[in-house]
Amino acid sequence: MRGALLAAAGRTMGGSGGPLARTIRSKLTAALQPTHLEVRDDSPRHGGPPGAETHFGVLVVSGLFAGLPPLQRHRLVHEALREELAGPLHALQVTARTPEQWQSDPRVPPAPPCLGGSKRERRRG
Amino acid sequence: VVVFMKGSPAQPLCGFSNAVVQILRLHGVEDYRAHDVLQDPDLRQGIKDYSNWPTIPQVYLNGEFVGGCDILLQMHQNGDLVEELKKLGIRSALLDAEKDQEKK
Repeated sequence: MRGALLAAAGRTMGGSGGPLARTIRSKLTAALQPTHLEVRDDSPRHGGPPGAETHFGVLVVSGLFAGLPPLQRHRLVHEALREELAGPLHALQVTARTPEQWQSDPRVPPAPPCLGGSKRERRRG
Repeated sequence: VVVFMKGSPAQPLCGFSNAVVQILRLHGVEDYRAHDVLQDPDLRQGIKDYSNWPTIPQVYLNGEFVGGCDILLQMHQNGDLVEELKKLGIRSALLDAEKDQEKK
């Protein structure tokens, strides 16, 4: 079954992803015990070479989010990935829902297109 | 309204930063302080330390950190952003747009 996150990205992800994708998956699973988890590598859309693993999107569905406002939910996700965010993980799009919310709304926003970022600044000199 | 972003509202240099600019624009909010973190690496790290938030863009309303692009989008979709702007004395353009719709 194609995940909603991947469908929003408009493509299938080959295999289980690279090493960072697997780390993200296992850390989020351990920290948040999700009932549903999707990890999407958006790096190719941001000018990185294949396998760059710098920009990710995650969809986390977990009962642990119940009663928490979006900011707190996102902070939980960031906590789990603190090391990665201090290092190679450059951008992280987060969709955090409770199982009930996921049931009633399984849509996920797509990643916004890249607009060049710091690379563009440097080229302009 | 204060935004820390990559690039400027006139020329965002990142899809997530652009999303924030576009959402604010939809609400008629164009006159806000925008800081381009690409111009200043100390600012780029400093603002992440300050808010304890690892990514850019960052949106502050009335000095309080609200979130990044994902959260702003959610607030826009569920009506919270209109309410938060109202608290700041800013009337969202979307309210006027709705009023026009009703008149028709």
